[in-house]
Amino acid sequence: MNIEVNGPKIVFTIPIFGGINVTETVVNSWYIMAFIVIMSIYLTHGLRVKKPSKKQVVAEKLYLMIHNLVTDVMGKKFENFVPYIGALFTLSILGSLSSLLGMRPLTADLSTTLGWALITFMMVQITNIRTNGFLGYLKSFTQPVALLTPLNLISEVANPISMAFRHFGNVASGVVITSLVYSALAALSNFVLGFIPNDFIKSIPIFQVGLPAILSIYFDLFTSFLQAYIISMLTMVFVSSAAE
Amino acid sequence: MEKYLAFVTIDKWTLIFTWANLLILFLLMKKLFFKPIKNILKQREDEINSLYDKANSSSEKAEKLKQEYENRLNEAANEANNIVGEAVKNAEARKSAIIDDAKKEAKGIIDKASREIEQEKNAAVSEIKTDISSLAVDIAKKVIEKDLKKEDHEKMIDDIISKMGE
Repeated sequence: MNIEVNGPKIVFTIPIFGGINVTETVVNSWYIMAFIVIMSIYLTHGLRVKKPSKKQVVAEKLYLMIHNLVTDVMGKKFENFVPYIGALFTLSILGSLSSLLGMRPLTADLSTTLGWALITFMMVQITNIRTNGFLGYLKSFTQPVALLTPLNLISEVANPISMAFRHFGNVASGVVITSLVYSALAALSNFVLGFIPNDFIKSIPIFQVGLPAILSIYFDLFTSFLQAYIISMLTMVFVSSAAE
Repeated sequence: MEKYLAFVTIDKWTLIFTWANLLILFLLMKKLFFKPIKNILKQREDEINSLYDKANSSSEKAEKLKQEYENRLNEAANEANNIVGEAVKNAEARKSAIIDDAKKEAKGIIDKASREIEQEKNAAVSEIKTDISSLAVDIAKKVIEKDLKKEDHEKMIDDIISKMGE
């Protein structure tokens, strides 16, 4: 049997600029964004200073978690990064967790993770120029000795690439392994039940019940949290170290 | 026919959509989630701070009032002590004045009494003298039955009595 592992499906094409392909990734991210926006509106509806409701306590807790993470890692002066890191973290984690609902994860698309990594890259360069001035920024590549300039340039460019591939690879491998495991379990079911002379019973993939859920705990839940945390953390660390 | 992109690919439109999506989500979350909660936390912090300030100023005020009242109480106690002391002194003075008066009066009374007694005594003595002399004259008259000259007689008796009195 053949197993096909595809990239994101093209949902529709906008017939301008020679055809803009709108893929599953983009459509799924719209769903997730809609969900996030609705949750934001729901959580912040009817905020009160005194006697906060349960959902307000939850919303404040979430806010403070992100806020404290950002201010602990980046320092107080980067407080305006809180919403960006919050948006990135939320989109990353829900984008990966969407695989639990059978949607194709956003982050299993290299274009998504590379997009995020490039934003971080641009932020790092801009922060560096703002902090050190343009000459100081250029000079920072020749530190500690001019001989290392090529290596410094490579490592600067390597950062977004490694960020993008790390996140993409972790989630995409989960997608691949999950589909492989499903196929393998279907084959196993077919083999075990093969002697039953009934096409319907034969086609029930009994081994697909249970085992994929255990794998899913690692590949979906754990990896989603971990990669969302890593990409947010790396963004914060790179940007704040560029300000030194 | 469903079309798929390659598994590992960089699609420029997906990239652009990713940027647009993240930017939009950032703006929406900032406006709908982060700003309101930040504001509410700020308000709560302000309120708590103002409550603390109020509590501090109240306790300061209370402390000041307490001090003031204690001072006043001390003053009042001092004043009361002064008043009582004054009163006691006055009373003492009056007491001694009264006692002195009483003593003086008593002395006056005693003096007067003793003077009266003296006078009475003298009067009584002279009356008795008179009585005795006339009695003696009568007795002598009866004894002698003879009329002596009254003046000689009295003289003689006075001599006798004054000799007796010595």
